[in-house]
Amino acid sequence: MKTLEELREFYNSTLLADLEGLEQERKKIIQKLTYLIVVIVCVVGICFFFWVGSSKTNPLVIFIPLVLCLIIGGFLCKLLMRGYVAQFKSLVIERIVHFIDENLNYAAHDCIDKSTFMLSKIFSTKPNRYKGDDLVWGKTGATTIKFSEIHAEHESGSGKNRRRYTVFKGLFFVGDFNKHFTTQTVVLPDTAEKLFGHLGQKLQSLNIFRGQLIRLEDPEFERHFAVYGSDQVQARYILSTSLMERIVKFKKKTGRKIYLSFVGSMVFVAVSYTKKLFEPRIFRTLLDFGPIREYFEDLQLAIGIVDDLNLNTRIWSKE
Amino acid sequence: MWIAIIIGVVVILVAVFLYNSLIAKKNQVTNVFGTIDALLKKRYDLLPKLISTVKAYMQHEKSLLSEITEMRAKAVSGQLSDDEQVELDNKLSKMLGGIMVAVENYPDLKANQNFLQLQRTMNEVEEQISAARRAYNAAVTAYNNAVEMFPTNVAATMMGYKLKKVFEISEEQREDVDAEKLFKS
Repeated sequence: MKTLEELREFYNSTLLADLEGLEQERKKIIQKLTYLIVVIVCVVGICFFFWVGSSKTNPLVIFIPLVLCLIIGGFLCKLLMRGYVAQFKSLVIERIVHFIDENLNYAAHDCIDKSTFMLSKIFSTKPNRYKGDDLVWGKTGATTIKFSEIHAEHESGSGKNRRRYTVFKGLFFVGDFNKHFTTQTVVLPDTAEKLFGHLGQKLQSLNIFRGQLIRLEDPEFERHFAVYGSDQVQARYILSTSLMERIVKFKKKTGRKIYLSFVGSMVFVAVSYTKKLFEPRIFRTLLDFGPIREYFEDLQLAIGIVDDLNLNTRIWSKE
Repeated sequence: MWIAIIIGVVVILVAVFLYNSLIAKKNQVTNVFGTIDALLKKRYDLLPKLISTVKAYMQHEKSLLSEITEMRAKAVSGQLSDDEQVELDNKLSKMLGGIMVAVENYPDLKANQNFLQLQRTMNEVEEQISAARRAYNAAVTAYNNAVEMFPTNVAATMMGYKLKKVFEISEEQREDVDAEKLFKS
């Protein structure tokens, strides 16, 4: 695991020099964006002036140019940003990934595929709007991992009845688990027990779609999570007492809602985020350690799951 | 009249629910106990291979190895009571722990691929046994709660269900394995 001090050293010695070039690029984009905004404001202003000047003029005189300006403006904005975002990702995100572990690969436009997402069994709703980016994959120590940002939504109805809700937004991690197993075990954030105590536990046991409720011995783990599985013994074989402690520690470290599942000898971890991850902030200088630190911490959190869950310990028959 | 019928139906439904939930809990205990048995058998099957592999290397632990062989023979004979079986298994676990610690003194053995594979399988089985014991304890706790708590306790008394014992770790097992002491005795 890399420390913040090591990151600062890497930032000052290697990253900073390259970032200066990108910073010039960013300033140019801001300048172009400013021009664009000025043009849009002028066009809208002129239309508004005509509309107010002649009371007989149709309100569409202002409405149509405004919509056109917004569409063209949005398109130009995207065009201006495209090259910059690609440069930023290969210069900043990819290099931070390699700085943390040089055996890992990075693809800015790829993501964990939908079938893997569904294979985890964490989310029972199948999303019909699914996208993501920033895929990192490779082997760290003895463990093969893969993770990316995912935004999965479910849309139902049409017209005025159209409803859309987020199934999951955040980091989605898949890793090769260090023990063999054939069953499914899902660890979900516990809301029922937190709110209703013992009655909540009764409610959890009625959730027949998830399989059997597995009641574990660690009271702190039970306070944070509800575990469902297809086999009582194998669920405990996977969730050893030390792994339960590690999961609680990981949950506290992230301070976020986390979901885990163990299917087909693999571990799936979903960490909820509300912000978009690993994206450049155009109105903020690049020559500041703060955002770099944030990207590093988010990446380290995902790659660190291997250490946090002790996945490199290979003392069982699975090598 | 209708009210009496409704009350009667509700009472019957509640009784059926209580009866079935108790049966399910009892069966869960039996089921997990069966899993422990199966895993212990898996361990007994592994033991001869382990002993034949380490025998060639371990010079100072010959008596310990023959003792393990004897205990295994006793365990698979099927003539022991449940309590004796549990005690024997606990003793065996401790001795195996000792063997794994003693391996540190034999670099050649530590490098033996066959042994390494066996050691991994052994670790796996031990961890599975401990998981099955935890599952057994959870099943027994759920069963005991049902036997003692109202209203299931009423049905439990009528069905003659008694409290069951959970697995306890003996004081001996709680202590860390002291290899030196183990081999001296």
